[in-house]
Amino acid sequence: MSLEDLQAWLLAEGVRDDLTKIVRLTVRSELDNLAGEAHETGADGIDWQRLIFAGSILARSEMRTDQEAALRIAVAAITLTDDRGVRDAGAVLLGKLSNFRAVSLAVNRALVAGDLDSRLGIALRLEAQRREMDRSILVETTGKWMQVNDFQQRFWTNASLARWLSASAPTASGKTFLVLQWLVDQLGAAEAAVAIYLAPTRALVSEIETNLQNLLSDAKGIEVSSLPLRSKYDAARTGGSRLVLVLTQERMHLLANVLGDAFLVDLLIVDEAHKIGDDGRGVILQDAVERASRTNPMMKLVFISPATQNPEELLADAPEGIETVAVNSDAPTVLQNLLLARQVPGKPRRWTLETRQAEATIPIGVLELANTPASFIKRLAFIAAAAGERGGTLVYANGAADSEDIADLISQLQPKVDPKLTDPELTALAELARKGVHPNFRLAPLVERGVAFHFGNMPSLLRLEIERLFRSGKIRFLVCTSTLVEGVNLSCRTIVVRGPRRGKGHPMEPHDFWNLAGRAGRWGAEFQGNIICIDPNDPVAWPKGVPLRSRYPIKRESDAVLDLGDALLDYLAKRGERTPSDLEGSEEFEQVGAYLLTSYMRLGSISQADLAKRHTSAFIARLDDVLHGLASQLDIDADLAARHPGVSPVGLQRLLDTFRSYKGEPENLLPAEVASDDSYDRFVTIMRRINVSLFPAFEPESRIKLYALIVFQWLRGQSLAEIIRRNIAWHIEVNRPYKLPALIRDTMALVEQIARFRAPKYLSAYMDVLHLHLRSIGREDLIDHGLDIGTQLEFGVSSRTLISLMELGLSRMSAVALYEKIARDDLGQEECREWVVERADQLGGMEIPAAIIRELRERLLVIDDGGPAEATE
Amino acid sequence: MARKIAVTLGPMYFDKKGDAVAYLNAMLNKYDVGDRVSAADAIVLEAALARHPEAKEKIGTGVKDFSVRSAEFGTKCFWVNRTDGTTVKFSHKAI
Repeated sequence: MSLEDLQAWLLAEGVRDDLTKIVRLTVRSELDNLAGEAHETGADGIDWQRLIFAGSILARSEMRTDQEAALRIAVAAITLTDDRGVRDAGAVLLGKLSNFRAVSLAVNRALVAGDLDSRLGIALRLEAQRREMDRSILVETTGKWMQVNDFQQRFWTNASLARWLSASAPTASGKTFLVLQWLVDQLGAAEAAVAIYLAPTRALVSEIETNLQNLLSDAKGIEVSSLPLRSKYDAARTGGSRLVLVLTQERMHLLANVLGDAFLVDLLIVDEAHKIGDDGRGVILQDAVERASRTNPMMKLVFISPATQNPEELLADAPEGIETVAVNSDAPTVLQNLLLARQVPGKPRRWTLETRQAEATIPIGVLELANTPASFIKRLAFIAAAAGERGGTLVYANGAADSEDIADLISQLQPKVDPKLTDPELTALAELARKGVHPNFRLAPLVERGVAFHFGNMPSLLRLEIERLFRSGKIRFLVCTSTLVEGVNLSCRTIVVRGPRRGKGHPMEPHDFWNLAGRAGRWGAEFQGNIICIDPNDPVAWPKGVPLRSRYPIKRESDAVLDLGDALLDYLAKRGERTPSDLEGSEEFEQVGAYLLTSYMRLGSISQADLAKRHTSAFIARLDDVLHGLASQLDIDADLAARHPGVSPVGLQRLLDTFRSYKGEPENLLPAEVASDDSYDRFVTIMRRINVSLFPAFEPESRIKLYALIVFQWLRGQSLAEIIRRNIAWHIEVNRPYKLPALIRDTMALVEQIARFRAPKYLSAYMDVLHLHLRSIGREDLIDHGLDIGTQLEFGVSSRTLISLMELGLSRMSAVALYEKIARDDLGQEECREWVVERADQLGGMEIPAAIIRELRERLLVIDDGGPAEATE
Repeated sequence: MARKIAVTLGPMYFDKKGDAVAYLNAMLNKYDVGDRVSAADAIVLEAALARHPEAKEKIGTGVKDFSVRSAEFGTKCFWVNRTDGTTVKFSHKAI
């Protein structure tokens, strides 16, 4: 019998019954409000010695199911018995799985006594020590050894060897932690002066920026920023502090535009790299990577993705001679229990739970609810509140409105707390919600009861605080939307889902579902995580059933669109004469079409592009033909087109034609200063011009005024609370009915989607083409060389003081709150810092929310060198 | 039949008020909302404003220039930008 045969036999027969038993017991120990079982036997009768021996054989397998079984045996040995010897053996088994964090957890929880090695026999002790040495890496900048798992070690070793690396591992494998550590090490060892960390969502940008700042708190000479401004970049390039810029792909393009020829990146990390396949923004990400690699072919590049099938795909376009390596892992670090919850017929408050393990389902017990769940959202809320009563419970909601309702229901089931006894951090978060959004924002009373909701359009400071307090356990229930699947690194103990959708009602793909499910289980904080799927047999909730475990297939958006063949060629052929509003498929083809045309303009033929090798030469030749037809109509050059990824050069040309035929004063083509009374109306006209000539980005026409107003208010530096207040006032003035929660959500969505996403993208293209036109008619005098409109819009700042505050690392929410107290609008960074330092003692009395004051203290009142200004013994 | 009254607006002469208003209408339509009115048009507009029944209040501290901005019900109209930074709309039909 080979080792593989033995491992397969163990699972199928050898220890199957004992495994079933420990699965039941370990899973039951995770859940609250289970009905008692008449024949509960506990762990009696389990042959631990035999089981652990089987575990050590299974631990040698590369197969995920074997490793899961070994991990299950180890965790069961540690948590289910009182026998110290068995517990020690469980810890040794964890060591064999290189799961040192779980060993530490067992020791911290006093499940295993410390100094395990001293209790082992000589042979075992030597083996354990050898393993610990094998699984350690040296952090050069600190000179310290760090214990890692197999994936982490392979990442660390290969990252130093290969120039392009693509790493893929499931959530909770310690990817982000290690990559950030490695990044800091690279900068500390002066391997790179400028590094960019690409994170495809603003939520992830804020999170990574915060993590890096915490990691670098003691380190000197390394700056972190998420603003695409040149000052810190120039400093890093001229020997000043080295720099990590945490940017979305769009912000990276903004930075590259600002820097022009000076744009050079030494090290690029692309997080959530599988998003290169996302509709619309995937090609912008691909373009960002290619742009950075073009300007520095020797750039070091690291892709990170969650469990993917083919991480090597990302390395396919590496320049010739560049060494590449893929590091792929599918090993579990925590146990993930997939539970199916079905209502007991005729007993709406009783729900049977069973767990799906590999190919079998094992009954776990019956969950008892305190109330009848009459609606679907009540099912989610009540099951979460019951099964996940001990906290760390995440509920997935299909949309922001549902997330609020579910959180509200859960909060009603929580015991009332005397307001005086509410945790001060929860009180501070509630205050931030009331002052930063609206006095009646639903979040505020919920967090006071330890419940919160979380969605993408929330201001980042609020979202980060919610995530932080959920991690620390003070928020016990968090109801989230797909923002979490979009890559916020937030793990939990239990996830509750029912018919998860992504985007506009599409059922989640299996890999998306498993990316979400992968967040169940906090490695190093828990041994297990649970995914509770409600109504698994309901065909509406789960059209294809609860998905089997699956990994992302990486496929570039550009390749997927090219694979559509004639439909793409047809669109491009018609794009020369028609506008996207008159063409079918603009959502699908416009961005990739823009990318292809720009590539054609730069290279002279798509056959010269890296992607050509993935498609037939006949198709590429036809594509070249169509692109040639488009390119021959353009005065716009390749450089200008490359500055605006996702915006068609055909659109840029139409806009240029519009400017050329404009009969009025050229001044009127420019946005008016936001302080001017013309500003709002000017935005209305510019948006109309963009819709007609460039791309219908601000449609329908009936909403243009609203879009212009939001852009105008945002750019003026108004706080979200103020924008919401004015929106309410307008509704009252024109006697239009409104519902506060929806109005708040809609306003947040307008700020995020219009003011911070569409407006910067299309207005910066508008300005670039306008500048070209102004130069050609001899009106350079009208060109303002200050901060570009794209950056102003992304950050909602137009005054020097506000920009300085954000350059110092404040969130916009804090910067705006502080700016309301600062008289001057032309302060530089140092002057802003002085302003705060001078008033350090008065901040508490300024009616600024405590959470903002905390951010001010962390960012602006950190004292350099020599310790605190008033050192005390 | 009402007697025709000729109207002079700066360098422009009109046989009757209706013609002047039509001219100003055309001028307004030439502009998009948010536009600053050109210096040449501003001379005509300033003369029109002087004929407005509330000219004194509208002019206030003095006229810096004019803009075209949105008005009620999806329409647009001329606005006076005063030298003190304040602004007020005026109907060119009321001249």
